[in-house]
Parts: sequence; structure tokens; C-alpha cells
Amino acid sequence: MMKKSISFQLNKEMRTIDVSPNEGLLEMLRDRIGVKSPKCGCDRGDCGTCTVVIDGKTVRSCLVLAIEVDGSELTTLEGVMNQGQINPLQQMFLDKNVFQCGFCAPGMILSATELLEKHPHPTREQVQEGLAGNLCRCTGYTPIIDAVLEHGGCKGGCRE
Amino acid sequence: MAAAKGGAVSDELEKKIDFKVIGKSAVRVDGKAKISGAAQYINDLEFGPGLLFAEIVESPHAYARIKKIDTSKAEKVTGVVKVVSGKEFPFRFGLYMHDRYVFAQDHVRFVGEQVAAVIARTPAIAKKAARLVRVEYDVLEPVLDVEAALQDDAPLIHPELAKYQHVPWFFPKKNSNIAHFRKVRKGDMNDGFKSADFIFEDTYTVPRYAHCSIETHGAVGLFDHSRRLTVWAASQSPHTQRHLFAEALAPLGITHKDVRVIAPFVGGGFGGKAGVSMEILAAALATTVQGNPVKVMWSRAQEFYNTYQRQGVVAKMRVGVKKDGTITALEQKLHWDAGAYVEYGANVVNAAGLSATGPYRIPNVSIDSVCVYTNLPPGGPYRGFGYSEFIFGLESHLNEIAKKLQLDPVEFRLKNAIAEGDTLNYGGKMNPSGLQECIRKAAQEIEWGKKTVSSDPKKATGKGFALFWKAPAMPPNASSTAFLKFNEDGSLNVLVSAMEIGQGFLTVMAQIAGEVLGIPVEKIRVETPDTDRNPYEWQTVASHITWSTGNAVKKAAIDAREQIFDTVSRALGKDRDSLYLEDESVKSKREPAFGLKLRDFVINGIMMKDGTWRGGPIVARGMFMPEFASAISDPETSQGGKPNVHYTVGASAIEIEVDRETGKVRIPKVVLAVDCGKVLNPDLLKGQVTGGMVQGLATVLFEDMRFSDEGKLLNANFTDYKIPTAMDVPDEIVSIFVEHAQPDGPFGARGVGEHTMIPAAPIIANAIEDALGIRLKSMPITAERVALALLDRK
Amino acid sequence: MAIVHEFEYLKPKTLKEALHAVAKNRGAMLLAGGTDLVGHLKEGSVAPSLIVDIKGLRELKKIVLKGRILNVGALVTFGELMESRVIQSKFPVLTEIAGKVASVGIRNRATMVGNICSAVPCLDSGPVLLAMDAIIHVKAVRGGRMIPAKKWFLQARKTAIKPGEIVTHVSIPLPEEKGAGCYIKLGRYQGEDLAQASVFVWMGKKGQSRVAFGSVGPTPLRGTRIEKHLKGKKLDPAVLDLAKELVSEEVSPITDIRATKEYRLHMCKIMLERALLSAEARIRGNGPKYGKSLI
Repeated sequence: MMKKSISFQLNKEMRTIDVSPNEGLLEMLRDRIGVKSPKCGCDRGDCGTCTVVIDGKTVRSCLVLAIEVDGSELTTLEGVMNQGQINPLQQMFLDKNVFQCGFCAPGMILSATELLEKHPHPTREQVQEGLAGNLCRCTGYTPIIDAVLEHGGCKGGCRE
Repeated sequence: MAAAKGGAVSDELEKKIDFKVIGKSAVRVDGKAKISGAAQYINDLEFGPGLLFAEIVESPHAYARIKKIDTSKAEKVTGVVKVVSGKEFPFRFGLYMHDRYVFAQDHVRFVGEQVAAVIARTPAIAKKAARLVRVEYDVLEPVLDVEAALQDDAPLIHPELAKYQHVPWFFPKKNSNIAHFRKVRKGDMNDGFKSADFIFEDTYTVPRYAHCSIETHGAVGLFDHSRRLTVWAASQSPHTQRHLFAEALAPLGITHKDVRVIAPFVGGGFGGKAGVSMEILAAALATTVQGNPVKVMWSRAQEFYNTYQRQGVVAKMRVGVKKDGTITALEQKLHWDAGAYVEYGANVVNAAGLSATGPYRIPNVSIDSVCVYTNLPPGGPYRGFGYSEFIFGLESHLNEIAKKLQLDPVEFRLKNAIAEGDTLNYGGKMNPSGLQECIRKAAQEIEWGKKTVSSDPKKATGKGFALFWKAPAMPPNASSTAFLKFNEDGSLNVLVSAMEIGQGFLTVMAQIAGEVLGIPVEKIRVETPDTDRNPYEWQTVASHITWSTGNAVKKAAIDAREQIFDTVSRALGKDRDSLYLEDESVKSKREPAFGLKLRDFVINGIMMKDGTWRGGPIVARGMFMPEFASAISDPETSQGGKPNVHYTVGASAIEIEVDRETGKVRIPKVVLAVDCGKVLNPDLLKGQVTGGMVQGLATVLFEDMRFSDEGKLLNANFTDYKIPTAMDVPDEIVSIFVEHAQPDGPFGARGVGEHTMIPAAPIIANAIEDALGIRLKSMPITAERVALALLDRK
Repeated sequence: MAIVHEFEYLKPKTLKEALHAVAKNRGAMLLAGGTDLVGHLKEGSVAPSLIVDIKGLRELKKIVLKGRILNVGALVTFGELMESRVIQSKFPVLTEIAGKVASVGIRNRATMVGNICSAVPCLDSGPVLLAMDAIIHVKAVRGGRMIPAKKWFLQARKTAIKPGEIVTHVSIPLPEEKGAGCYIKLGRYQGEDLAQASVFVWMGKKGQSRVAFGSVGPTPLRGTRIEKHLKGKKLDPAVLDLAKELVSEEVSPITDIRATKEYRLHMCKIMLERALLSAEARIRGNGPKYGKSLI
């Protein structure tokens, strides 16, 4: 098995690393680069805790080979912070005490960020649909949905 | 100082009403760590290049005798460090009953049971080599059904049951598969049924369920060259784990002081990470590779089939009732499918047995709660601890009775609801309870009695109602402790060993300490524990932590306060009785002008005129044990003793819309009213209601564990074990809090974490009956079952 | 979970290079979105010697309407299908189908062609392609083939593709007459699920009707008897009742962990009725919004 040198941007920083073809992206990020915010919850694309952003789109990093991201731009939760400070969406989640165990939070925040880029003033259904790929067992989702709606400027949900 | 004594805390603070921190929705102290990705969970910790990885060789059979284990091929693989099997650890252990092993010994008793482990340099090598371990089995006929296991001629799953060590409140039946038989007898059943106008009898069944924390179990063990054992684990029970590791591995010369458990943040618990399950593997395997840390991480599939599962139950009940709706007698026979090992699960059976009347005043009671071994994965604690299971049948059945008596189900419940001072099933008295108020408020919020009609003719609407209760299930001497220490700037560290599993425990402890000491929550740090540094805690289970650890923290804070007053009165000659704490300062009722900042003396003390110092670092402690509790009672009746410290009660109501063609249920609104005494943090409590309700609704609408005829779990993944997504939540979830203070709780609080999922199943079952006239008596009540039941009726 | 199996990796820049790679390596497998393949690698259920990542072949990432033929390239993701202006205006039911596939994070990566290559019985892309008489275009070193959808799905997880071939795109002939489609997918709940059963219909203004089912047989199934019955008819209750009666002649559901055959059959009837009525309403312009849950 031939190792290959790949280069990609990770949270705006250029990274170069040798990978084996059978190395997973999630394992590479966590175990070799030390970025721990993407978590492993199911390892088969069902739970969304491993969500990262590749070239502007959220993906399940457990279903991507590391070698596939050669030449890509990657963002993890660490990359959506504002110069070391939490961003306004994170602040909303914090103030509203939306998360409990916090394990789903990194993936959930990235999915919510993508959703708000697509629909800055989302309806309740759009938020539910946008977050449906991120499983959470603690919160019953409602506080998360409500916080995203409030961030989008419409408490209870904007109209279409 | 009063602070170090056991028993209830009584303090003038209880009388205070203008709290600064208590009762406020303080922002979580762990919030920033969790929304920034900084929070570390077990799999995020670094152990350096020496870290080894273990892969488990599992039983493919539900019941078999192990003939031979051949590890030679696996051992030859480059990168394999060690292959371990049962012969290295021939020790029995367990929480309440010693009936399980580190690895299977001569028999395997469920599909997925650990038989051997391969420890290797990388996960891939471990996985590859584990496939090369050859195990020969004599396959035996498994016992997969609880009723079959109770037959006289059923194969014995634990022939040596009579020899097993267990707590004194368990009653195993030798030469049977009954691991524990909890018998409750109160009043006179003959009288009870004789005085009834009607007797209603039925059977309800509940399957097995999985916790589905999004973080799977994981643990890392290190047995270093000084022969001390450190285990990092995703754990609800660091001290109990330390105790069980030390106990199980004692033959290796390991003692409690040699064992240390460090628990980082936990990605969801729900009972699944209580006690000791797979963590024993990390502890035991570490001893075989001295000097190297070894990691065991459960895959999602393993998380389903080899951790505790919520037990299934078959509940047969007979209820005697008068025409006016007075319940005269209740007989419950609960047969629990407890699985292959019951060291923890048997206590679920015990707790449910003691309380299987639900929150009702019933003079004549007969309950048999029977813990039955089967060849399915071990049962164990799951949020609700047996109460969700029996409440489904009980509250469904009572609804049917009300209907048959032509009584309003809410009125019927109000008539029989338990109140403060009523006699409990085991003879004790009911604690303060706002149950009546919860019932009324829940009914009002759901507009009980007002029939809604859907605009869509295909849809039927219905409402459902149910009561719930639960007491902590814990040993009578389960205790909590706390340390408090100040920092130079007057900020505070609170050291406790209960676990933050999402419920907000750390925050509430900060609030309690902050309230006593006049310090804002933002200046208090509370972290997850290390058993070497943090004081003792039994376990984070049973919804008892806010109450028990809260009491310990409050006592520690009072201890600190007394030390502060002592220093200030000694150094400055202030009248001690006039001192109080406010705004991070010591103040005096007599001298309004006096104010001394805590930061000015809590570490360095106060300088006297002669240059000497008084005081010094404030370090405080607190301890709480419910000295009034006892688990000893008459085994034939359960009378005597005081096994339960308090019950938290409430009522829940739901409005549904069900599609008559598809069977799909939509939930416009669900309400839960609970009396957990003083509400310490409304946001966090609301979080418990919302999360618990959604988790409970899923058990009745979507989830269940499916096993093959050979005992293999068929849906060990989120593809086919459907936990709710953001699209599967009710439109509106309303929390109502009724506050009747718990006299021995911190600021009047009692437990609530589990309760919020308990009534979810029967409110759905009752609402479906209301909407469609169909009574479904087994869970789950999926769209498919509703639709097919409607087709059958045609 | 570590992938134990070892393999080589190639990311060709041209289709020719890719074709040569798969021609030379019998053990080669193609990688596009990878949402199935990487999962299978982790489970150890596949063991390729070479993985050919075709994401560098830009020509396969196009959605093109040529006359009445809608071409969807092999690298087009479900997310791109949903956002495509052409599809939104010319064949909006395809956005409805794409929107029912898994969830955002999967749709951002998974492709429709990958879906039909996996060919699991519950696939969402099957019924529409079958009902619309779509053509699957494959290429090999020696030349290309055009395989009609009805000949593509052979068995569960088995298609007409041969070793050495690559699917370049799928073409969907859009009917001349004005019409509308509807796709209803039955899942165990509103969130992401694999179909317990699914129904696709397309109704034309001039009486044409197309019907196909998913997840009620080893492959997607065309409802030809139902189509014949419906042809040129108005959807009155009697017509709908007969259409529903015909469902049991068209599908052969089984009982598995996701549903019983009884519920699948029952729901195919219900979904057929609702899909037909919704499609008809969409032609009139007052139908449900695409993507709205109809069950």
C-alpha cells in the first residue's frame, strides 16, 4: 500500500501529511492532526457527530478517506470561532443552555451554520430538516431548534 | 461545626426566599467548553505513542460451552502484544450480585459476550488478529424468553446461583433462573378484592431498549511499573468503578489505594455508564501489559449488544375497584427478562417491585417482581429504572378501568392519587407531594375534556393522561461528599465526584455553593473527578445527585462560611453572630459600613497589627448520607425498613393527531407537570423535561430491540434502531413545575432526571385509545402497529 | 473504526485514464461520494485492490438538459440535484426525491449514480428512473453502452454493469406533454430512514401515467397494470380504488426488520392514492409543495 503526501487547508492553515489509502478522514483529523472536535458516534454515517465542512459543505468525515481531501478546504468547529472567541451562534447556544452532554455539539453547530448560510431566516421546518442528520439523545432538540430560529431573527420560526 | 455530620441539613438558609443564585437559570459552567469543542471525552484524551488497542473476541452463540480457545495464530501477527482470555481472570464480580466475569469462563451466555481480547499496537492489527482467534464451542439450547426461563424444566443459565455473593435485600431461588424475587404484601388481598365491585385483569408487555448515548463506552487502563492501576473511563460511577476494579482484581494484589479512576466529560449516560460494564476490560487488560496504556473503545454495535440494556417485562395485573372509582386492591406480577448477568439489573427489578402501584393510595397490594435470567445481553439501569416499564401497563390499565366505569380518567386518578402522609407499599409514609396540583395543572394545560377535531378527515385526534412517580434506588448508605477550596482572587473550586452527564450537575453544585457563600457562579469551577483527588461519591444514578451531592456541597459551603466567620471574628474582633456573606464579601448586620472582600483573606489570612497573621487557606468539606434509610425488611412482605428516601411525582398529558390510514402519530402538544421540590435552575430542569419526554416518546413510537431466534440482536445500529431526529419532536413541550419543598433536600430540592421519560409510553397508548378506540398492550406502538390494528378491526 | 483491508488509490484526471485503470484491475472499485463504499470498507464487506476516485473527472459533474433529455452526470450529488435550477423548473419531482435521501451531510456527498450502482432494494433513485424509462450510460475502454433502467436492476445489489465499465451519466427523457410527478417515501419516522416502501408517480395532462414502487421487491418495480388502468382516466374514487386493488399484483413485499409485508402492501396502496392525487393537483397548480410530507 503506497502512502501518499496530501495537502489541504485546515481551518485556514495549509497542512501536508502522508496518508495510507485506507486511512479514514476522521481518524486522521483526530489521531494524527489532533483536532478532536469531530467525534465518532456510529462510524457509519448515521449520527452526524463526525461532521466537518469540506469545500463549504458539511459531510460525514467517517465516510470519507483522508486521501480524498487532497487539495480541499476543511473546516472543523475550531475553525468557526472568531479569533479565539465564540461566534454569535455559539453565544446563543451558550446563553440558552441548549446542550447537555455536549457530544453532538460540534457537529450540530456546523450543520446549523450551514443551514443559516442557506436560509438566514429559516422556518421551523427548515431548521428541523437541516439538523435532522445530527443525532442528539439528551436535549429533545427543541432548545437547539429554538435557538437557531432566534439567531435567524424569528422566534418560533420565520415565514416562508 | 455542624457541617461534617451526616443526616439532613437544616439551616436558616431554607427560610430565605430572596435567593441570589438558586432558582435562577444560571448559564452552564461547562457550557463554553461544550460549544467550543474544548470539552474532552474519553476518546479525546492523548496517551502518547505507547498506547495499545484492544479488540474483543465475542461469542457468536447465545448459550454454549467453551471447549477450546486457540490464540496461537493471533499471537504470531506482527504488532500483537498480547492475547488474553478467561483463564487469566477467573474472578466473579458485580455491583449487587457477583454473577459476572471479566471474560467468559467455561460458558458463554449471550451473543456478543467477551471471550478473549487481542492487544496490539494499532486498532487495525488488533482487529485483524482478533479474527484469527479460534474458539470451539459446544452449542447449547438458549433460553430467550422470560416465560420459558420460568418453566420447571428450563435449562439453568447459572447452575451455581446459590453460591453467588449478593446484597442482603436480594432473594435468589436456587435451582431456578430466578435471580431475585421481590415480594410486596400490604393489607389483605382477599378483603381488597371482596370489597371491590369489579376486578379488571390484563397483561402488558414491554421489550428491551437501548440507551443510545451518542458517545459509546470507552476506557483506557494503565498498570504502571509501580503496579498502580489508573483507568480513564466514560463513567457515571468513578468511585464505584474503583471499588469494583479493586475488588475484582484483588487476587492480583491490587488494593483500593492502588486504583485510580479519572472520568472526563461523558457523552450521555442515561444509566448506561453506571456500575461497571465494559470498563472492567480496560482495567484487567492493563494488568497484562504492565507499563503500557491500553484502550478499549466500544463500536456502536457493541454499545447496543454488550452494555446494559433496559430489561423487557411482562406485567400481569388485577385491579379491584369500587363503582365510584376507589381502588381497593392491586395485584402485579412482573416478570423481567434480565439477561445473562443481573449484577445490576436485579436492583431494577427490586426497585420496580417496591413501587409498582404507581403513585396511588391502594390499601391492599400484592406485587411479585421477578428477576429472570435469559440468554440475552445483561439488563441494567436505564433512565427510569423499571418505573417506565411498569407504568406503561399500569397507566394503560387504569385508563381502561376508568373508561369501563364511565369515569373521567383524570377524575379517577385524582380520586386515588397518593398524598403526603399516605402509607407506602413497604409501610413508610409518603413525603410532601404536589401530585394533585400536578394533575390539575397538566389537565388544564392540555384542555382536558375539550375534544379537538382535525381539519383533515383522515386524521383522528385524541388526548392521553398518565401519572408517574419514582424514588431513587440506592443502597441505604449511599453517600456523597464534597471539598471546597478558595483561590487567591476569591474564586472557588468545588471538588465532587458525581458526574456531569449532561444534566447540568456541575452548574447546580456551583449554584448551591455560590448561594451559601455569596459568590457568583462564574467564579466557581466544578470539574469532573479523579478518585485520587476528589472525595467519595457512590454513583451518579437514581436522580439523587442534586439532592445528595447537593446536600454535601451545601454542607461544605457552610463549613467554609463558618471558617470565614471564625477568621474574621478572631482577627478583627467582629461579633460572629452578626456576620454574613454577600457580594463576595464578609459583612456585618451591626456595622453596615464593614465589608471585607473574600479575596483579601481566604488564602493568605488577615494581618494583625503586630504583623502576624490569622486564618489561612479556607478548605472545607461536606458529607451526606441518609441515615434514616434501611433496606432490611421482611422478605415475604417487604414491610419494615425504609428503602426509598423520597418519591418525586407528577402528571403528564398529550394531544395527538393520528392518521387513520398510515397509523402515523403527530404530537401538537405534550405537557409534563412535576413536583421536584424547589427548582434550582429552571433552564436545566426544562432541559430534563424536554429531553426526557422525547426519549420516552421514542420508546413507545419508534424504538425496540429485535433479536433473532438464536438470540442475536438484529438492529445494533442507528439505521434500524430509530432514535428521534430533530424532525421527530412534538410541536410543543410544556413544562410545569410545582414546588413542595423536600425537607431534607438542598434548598428543598429532590430528584427529577429520570422521571420525565416515565409517563411517555402510557400517555401515547391512552391518547391512541382515545382517538381510535384501540387499546395496544405491547410496546412499541409504531405507526405500523396502529395501522394494522385498524385494518384488523375492519 | 480502522479499515483493516489494504488497497491502492488512484485519482485519474481523465475518463480515459480511469477506464484504463478499471480495465487493468479486476479488483478495482470506483469511488465517488463514498457514503456506501467507505462504510463497506470499514465493515470489511468489500476488498478492492484499487480504489479509483473519479471525483477529478469534471465532465461527470454536469446536469444538462438537451432538448427533452435530462442528463445527470455520475458525480452529481443529491444536494446538487435539489439546488439545480434546471431540475427545479423542468423536472421538480427529482428535487423531491433527492430531498428524501438521508440527510444534508449525506446528500452533500452521495450521488444518484452511486445510489443506482449500490442498487439496494430501498434505493430512492430507482422508481423514478424506472418509471421515466431512463437510460444509464456506461463506458469502457472498448466503447460505450446504453442500458435502459428496466434492464439495469437485476437483483438486490446487482446491476447490469460489467467489470471495466464506468457509468458516466443517466439520461431521463422528459415527456412531451405537460405533467407532474410525486414521490412518497415511507419511513419509520419523519427523520432520515431507509424506505420501508416508496411510490413514484408521474401524470401527464393528456392522460399518460407512470408508476413505480421501491423497497417492495428485490429491485424497483414498475406498475404497468396500474399505468394501463389509469391511462386517460380521471382520478375518481372508483378509478383510484381499482388502482389500489392492482397494487398487490405489482409488488412482492417481504417482512423484514423495517416492516411487515402487510404494512408495506397496505401503505403502497395508500401512498399510490396520495401520490396520484398530489401529482394531479400539481398539474393544476394547486398541489403540495415539492418535498412536503404527504404521509
